[in-house]
Amino acid sequence: MGSYLVRRFLLMVLTLFGMSILIFVMLRLVPGNIADILVDASGADPRDKARIARELGIDRPIAEQYVSWIGGLSRGDLGFAYVSERPAIEEIAPRIPISAKLAAMAVVISVVLGVPFGVISAVKQNSSLDYFLRVISLSGLSLPSFWLGLLVLMAAVHWFGTIPIFDSNSRGFWDEVGMLALPALTVGFRSSALIMRLTRSSMLEVLRQDYVRTARSKGASNASVNYDHALRNALLPVVTIIGIEAAFLVGGLIVTETVFNIPGVARFLVEAILWRDYPIVQNLVMLIAFVVVMVNFLVDMAYMALDPRIKFAD
Amino acid sequence: MRSRLALLAASCAAFMMAAPPAFAQKSGGTLRMSHRDNPPSASIHEESTISVNQPFMAVFNNLVFFDPKQKVNSPDHIVPELAESWSYNADNTQLTFKLRQGVKWHDGKPFTSADVKCTWDSLAGHAPEDKSIIRKNPRKLWYANLKEVKTNGDFEVTFVLGRPQPSFLTMLAGGYSPVYACHVPDRVMRSKPIGTGPFKMVDFKRNESIKLVKNPDYWNKGKPYLDAIEWKIVPNRSTRLLGFQSGEFDMTFDSDVTFPLLKDVKASKPDAVCEARPTNVSSNLLVNRDKEPFNNPDIRKAMVLALDLPAFNEILFQGHALYGAAMLPPPDGFWGMPKDMLPTLLGYSPDRKKSLAEAQELMKKAGYGPDKPLKIKVATRNIAIYRDPAVILIDQLKQIYIEGELDPIDTTVWYAKVQRGDYQVGMNLTGVGIDDPDVNFYENYFSTSDRNYSRYKNPEVDKLIDAQSAEQDREKRKKMVWQIEKILADDVARPIMNYNVGNTCWDPKVKGILLQVNSIYNGWRFDEAWLDK
Amino acid sequence: MAVINHEAELARAGANVTGWLSRVLFFTRRYPLGAVGAIIVGLFIFTAIFADFIAPVDPTSTNAKYSLAAPSSLYWLGADFMGRDMYSRIVHGARISLAVGVGAMSLGAVIGISVGLASGYLGGWFDLVVQRLLDIMQSLPLLVMAIVMAASLGPSLKNTIFAIAIPLVPTVARVVRSSTLSLREQPFVEAARAVGMGELRIAVRHVLPNTLAPLIVLATAQLGSAILVEASLSFLGLGIPEPHPSWGRMLSESAAEYVRTAPWLVIFPGVAISLTVFGTNLLGDALRDILDPRQHS
Repeated sequence: MGSYLVRRFLLMVLTLFGMSILIFVMLRLVPGNIADILVDASGADPRDKARIARELGIDRPIAEQYVSWIGGLSRGDLGFAYVSERPAIEEIAPRIPISAKLAAMAVVISVVLGVPFGVISAVKQNSSLDYFLRVISLSGLSLPSFWLGLLVLMAAVHWFGTIPIFDSNSRGFWDEVGMLALPALTVGFRSSALIMRLTRSSMLEVLRQDYVRTARSKGASNASVNYDHALRNALLPVVTIIGIEAAFLVGGLIVTETVFNIPGVARFLVEAILWRDYPIVQNLVMLIAFVVVMVNFLVDMAYMALDPRIKFAD
Repeated sequence: MRSRLALLAASCAAFMMAAPPAFAQKSGGTLRMSHRDNPPSASIHEESTISVNQPFMAVFNNLVFFDPKQKVNSPDHIVPELAESWSYNADNTQLTFKLRQGVKWHDGKPFTSADVKCTWDSLAGHAPEDKSIIRKNPRKLWYANLKEVKTNGDFEVTFVLGRPQPSFLTMLAGGYSPVYACHVPDRVMRSKPIGTGPFKMVDFKRNESIKLVKNPDYWNKGKPYLDAIEWKIVPNRSTRLLGFQSGEFDMTFDSDVTFPLLKDVKASKPDAVCEARPTNVSSNLLVNRDKEPFNNPDIRKAMVLALDLPAFNEILFQGHALYGAAMLPPPDGFWGMPKDMLPTLLGYSPDRKKSLAEAQELMKKAGYGPDKPLKIKVATRNIAIYRDPAVILIDQLKQIYIEGELDPIDTTVWYAKVQRGDYQVGMNLTGVGIDDPDVNFYENYFSTSDRNYSRYKNPEVDKLIDAQSAEQDREKRKKMVWQIEKILADDVARPIMNYNVGNTCWDPKVKGILLQVNSIYNGWRFDEAWLDK
Repeated sequence: MAVINHEAELARAGANVTGWLSRVLFFTRRYPLGAVGAIIVGLFIFTAIFADFIAPVDPTSTNAKYSLAAPSSLYWLGADFMGRDMYSRIVHGARISLAVGVGAMSLGAVIGISVGLASGYLGGWFDLVVQRLLDIMQSLPLLVMAIVMAASLGPSLKNTIFAIAIPLVPTVARVVRSSTLSLREQPFVEAARAVGMGELRIAVRHVLPNTLAPLIVLATAQLGSAILVEASLSFLGLGIPEPHPSWGRMLSESAAEYVRTAPWLVIFPGVAISLTVFGTNLLGDALRDILDPRQHS
């Protein structure tokens, strides 16, 4: 198992390294750079571009730029953001907790909604309640989250006459929860649909297993079978998907942060791309990739720890 | 030496008379504003957008300023700010300012004539790169006629001009002409600017907020009234307006309330004070006269004749936009041609049917028709205010057998593309920072300008532009301006569809806000603003 | 526990169902939700193909008089602020969604199948390199990857299809590869090899058809996500440009401004997207039940 860990770790590093090259090259294939935007959008003399390009170091050969970025990364230096001209870390760091809190709330919502309804749906398989819950969960996967966000905003305007406008200087815990509740609900609804579907099918699988039948034949009560025996085992794959979903929430956050005007990392990524703010984009993409890869790794580890049947050869 | 002190006295008197007599201003409070997008930087000299001017003008002072009590920016309403007085030499080529003494920068250093020299040496491109207090320079063209800036002691400075240029003083009076400090590097000016103005910048959180606080050592004693101004950056317009309607904001961003939305704002906040005014931004058509088949003047003419200007106006502005030629039309505009001249220009005829028939004839003459349409790409910047009129344009051109396809171009490459002439037909917006013929003509119509996007070259017009620029007689100059406007329109240099008009709203408790009607870029010092709570 | 009734089980599985009509009826009875999905998807495809005949007016034609007109007998679903008919725009929007959905899905599938087949079949260093490349591509969520690609390529129909197709590749490639790996050692493949069949022919004739079932399930799921991603991209201004009536684009910028004054601008395009994706999801679930019996839903 030790060697498996080492191998997994090396693969992780390799993946991240590949991602760094991919994103670096892709960004530089994009037409237009920061100097073009800064100079052209303000109508300044095109000759001013050379000075900006030199100042920001984007006139150097690509390979050299890459080496200096990766060299900086290894020392924990993310470089300077082009637009704000501040260290990129100062731009990115304050946005991480905002998105993380939003993602955490969304995960909580999705688990609280997804798991119980998934279990109910499985236990009452093929009942009208099951059909109803399945349709609801499928619709959760079908609604674009930005549209759901717009509808939620419309409803908030209709009932409260206003909508929460994000303020990073919150006045305490509940204030913050209040500000993030609607967007978290929007993001969480979609994930909850996924978790519910998985809980349901996983639960059905387990209910068909021999030991459950045995327990039933031995006269264990229905409730005890469903919840003591089946649920515990059905949750294993669910835990996996919760982990992966948490990492993949970033996609949903991008549009939701846009709709609800929340200055988190996800929306910042889109803005930075439009501004060709390479240091921000590169580092954000690496951050997202790191979170995804890490979560996958942790989920595997958790799996290994939880399920003694799984053995990893070499 | 021809003294302008008389004029100065007159404007001071006007200043006194216009001061609000009935109520006393109250001090204190925080003005909460909404902002539409993240300002590219805080350095006014490096940018050309209201997103920078509106929040950051309050940090600075000019040498001279458009009288904040007057609705119209005009050369007759210029008042002193950091300069106490000014005068010209006999041949009008030297403009000397006496500077205010005892003024301090926000970091405590004294303001002197060296700062003025630094600022304009950089703007005119005379300063070497390492001494320049700006990194890029959108308004170099304004100072093409500035030969030298001379200081005479700490409190006198002379601008030496190549030839007489009455507009020079006007350009110094706009929001785009703050005095920068010599000792503050350009990078700091972009993120945490230091000025002499009524407010100090304390915080600029990108994509989130801007916070200004009162400058307690402001040279203009007793001002400003507000303790602070807080801006929240909210890119979504409906969210911004909802914030205003629910009392989260005291005032909207400049011209943020479009006419279709005005009704809604008024309905949910009946006490809101809303004012409509032209933004001095025109929607205009770019036709690349170097490209086939647009080198054929008949086709260019047909396109102008086919434009249904009222349709643009109805859809985009519910009929509130203004029609004008190259300059913002009166009474809001100071220089534009009189209304009764307008119908004599190409494309402004009230008989739409006849114009359209004529346009169709011209297209047929050029070999196009219902069965043989001209297929073109209509380039525009990929943001809503550009795209919307472009969509209408394409729809209208169908009537003269032109099948347009929209080619939305990312902001990153849009300007470079039109500058290179890499387009056939373009839908463009042109904002003019100061309602002044020099500012507008040299940039957009002079044959050698980089931003003469339609590549219009006319030696006669170039000569006229130079002549009006040097003309001291106001009435004579206006006539020359109108003549230029007529030639530009008849030559299809850059057909103007309309001048945009937008609404700005504020809560009735906000006082001391006066919107100037011929430029959105100029009146944002906020030193007169106060809250009646 | 009851004794297994073989007759009933066979009937339930549709063993004795022949003829297309009875197959349809059987499908409808057995998978009512799937049938609803099939109807929705059918309607969507029909609308997309015959948009020119269904839409009453040109979806790009503007009319100042009807700016923000409410739904009425003339404008069934109202008009946007340029006076363009929302019903016509939504009908034509189906065409864009279908083009992007099917385009991205097929492009992704073609690349994914080729890569997966080659990788599983050739093995060795080629497989190793491909696996690592797929790892890299999968280290970003689908939408993030699509956003980065779309922003790099610029807004157009072609670029949007490409930007969505590429992130779909890894899943397809992985599915094909794993089926290929298990099929490679199957007796019938060995037999084909024994009679001297070329490797490429074996791969295409014998291995590929046997990976079809999981592929169809995957493709249906991907069609739905491609449509959703297109809507999100266009909503962010990175996808289909104006004046093309993309559903996602209709919900962005100007539409959001009229949430209060003209809610129909927000409601109808959203309903169109949701319904279409909902249909593909329902159909996909049923197809998975039929084609991939290991996965019960």
